[in-house]
Amino acid sequence: MNVMADTPLLTFRDVWKTYGAGEAQVHALAGVDLTIRRGEFVAIMGPSGSGKSTSMNIIGCLDTPTRGVHGFLGIDAGALDRSRRAMLRNRYIGFVFQGYNLLPRTTAAENVELPLIYRGVPGRERRELAMQALAQVGLRGRESHTPAELSGGQQQRVAIARAIVTQPTLLVADEPTGNLDTARTHEIMDLLTSLNAEKGLTVVMVTHEADVAAYADRIVSFVDGKIASDTARMETA
Amino acid sequence: MLFETIRLALRSVRRNALRSFLTLLGIVIGVAAVIAMITIGSGTTEKVKQDIGKLGSNLLMVRASRPMRGGLTNFTPRALGESDLEGLAEGLEGVKAVSAASQQTVRVVYGADNMAVQVTGADTEYFIAREWDVALGRAFTDSEVRGGANLCLLGETVRSELFGAGDPTGVAIRVGRMSCRVIGVLAAKGTSGFGQDQDNIVVMPHSTFQRRIAGNRDIDMIYVAAQDGVSTSEVMTNIEQILRDTRRIGPGQEDNFDVRDMTQIADAMTSTTTVMTGMLGALAGVSLLVGGIGIMNIMLVSVTERTREIGIRLAIGAHEKHILVQFLVEATVLSLLGGLIGIALGLLLAVLATTTLSIPFVPSLAVIALAVGFSAMIGMVFGFFPALRGARLDPIDALRHE
Repeated sequence: MNVMADTPLLTFRDVWKTYGAGEAQVHALAGVDLTIRRGEFVAIMGPSGSGKSTSMNIIGCLDTPTRGVHGFLGIDAGALDRSRRAMLRNRYIGFVFQGYNLLPRTTAAENVELPLIYRGVPGRERRELAMQALAQVGLRGRESHTPAELSGGQQQRVAIARAIVTQPTLLVADEPTGNLDTARTHEIMDLLTSLNAEKGLTVVMVTHEADVAAYADRIVSFVDGKIASDTARMETA
Repeated sequence: MLFETIRLALRSVRRNALRSFLTLLGIVIGVAAVIAMITIGSGTTEKVKQDIGKLGSNLLMVRASRPMRGGLTNFTPRALGESDLEGLAEGLEGVKAVSAASQQTVRVVYGADNMAVQVTGADTEYFIAREWDVALGRAFTDSEVRGGANLCLLGETVRSELFGAGDPTGVAIRVGRMSCRVIGVLAAKGTSGFGQDQDNIVVMPHSTFQRRIAGNRDIDMIYVAAQDGVSTSEVMTNIEQILRDTRRIGPGQEDNFDVRDMTQIADAMTSTTTVMTGMLGALAGVSLLVGGIGIMNIMLVSVTERTREIGIRLAIGAHEKHILVQFLVEATVLSLLGGLIGIALGLLLAVLATTTLSIPFVPSLAVIALAVGFSAMIGMVFGFFPALRGARLDPIDALRHE
């Protein structure tokens, strides 16, 4: 076991996120401590307003804590400016959203290429990588379809391809199956599980469905801005 | 990266084709106006130069000075007369033609047709001074001028209006209240630098004109053509000396006549064109400003509409500058497109106008390049604020935007 594997990928040390001021002050996060290691598959659960989305925004380096330390890859990510966080997102983080968030009227391949454009990857290599990523999520042959020509499950696969095309360290998924039926949900979850298992991709997923959370190795539950429980999944034989 | 961005911008413009086109109208009209005006303006200048060349740069024109209304005049106004003409004809050396010329617009009638014509009284040397050939028939002779014969020559326009393709020589036409016999037709000269039809003319002996048309003994103008190789300024000085003598202007008194050569007249003509071009250019500038504001407006709409897209781009690793450049390029492509359409339209208008006015079509590459640069600049300047607004969006808010 090497040292790198032992260094936590992500740490929250007494993280607070506060909105408003004075009487109207609301603590979305109220002192959260959390450690996620490389290769973990973590589900974050909790009712609305529990702070799960806020913590996910911070984990994804889209937001910074009001107080406390958000460590990512051993650096104090919470202290970085906008453009450095943009760079972190581009290099190390992939996003999958509930609403897919693909660019409309833009082909699947072009959607997947997008993060590579911002990395400055040259065109030919970009297209190759995009094709590989699409093949990986089982969408070979759909490269030139626009989102409107794809089903919800397929759109979410394109979104996953876009998230993994840069070979990120961390995949952040916000309710990835929220808009899908049961069959599609299981397909997407199987895909995320295999990416986690085969590629060692660390996955942090927000969900409020227990059967979706059950795919994860570890379930962290938020209540009122604090972690209420943090349990590793029992391996069922 | 930049290529990607331009492709993206073109696609976005194409997607909102109608909206883009309407936004562009301001720029299109502004640029088209500038290009058309400048091209027509330089065509006019070119035409004036050509006309001067045709008239001969050795032609001088003498007129009596006119008192300025309301202004102080320190000369005694006096029309040119027979003594002035004689003085010049006898006293000048190195000239090939001296001719009186007086003009009046008079109605000319033949059969059932009638038209308003510049009727000109002239001496025989008028045709030499103006280098005007007689295409049909003959010019009048010195004795006919002296005798005040009722003869005339028609300009090409008059001939074709009154006689169609027919031969008018020997036919009597009515000019004002007099009747005169047509003895010849002048070669076509075309439009002057002012856009005046020079062929809408009837030329008759000057004495006839004085007696039957003007009803006085005045001379409007005297043409003096210097011989080739003789400097016009020298001739001009001689004219001034002779006229001061024939008009009895004492030492220290101002001249009551003007002598001009064609270059001076050309300058006066082109300066009018320059002023016109300048004024229309200013109007076009206002149109470009309005166009720029239109672009700013549509870019603000575009940024708002695409807030979610900006959120996605920011989330997957676009930097502020990427978003800024994307919208800046889009605004620039938009206004550049407007500029190009404007240039095409402007040149088309110029072609139509120059053909109608029969002046040369002189497109200027420098002006076209300037228009391209200027429209690109408008896009960048007016696109900057909306682009910055998009770039500064918070990714979380932008992603939540519906």
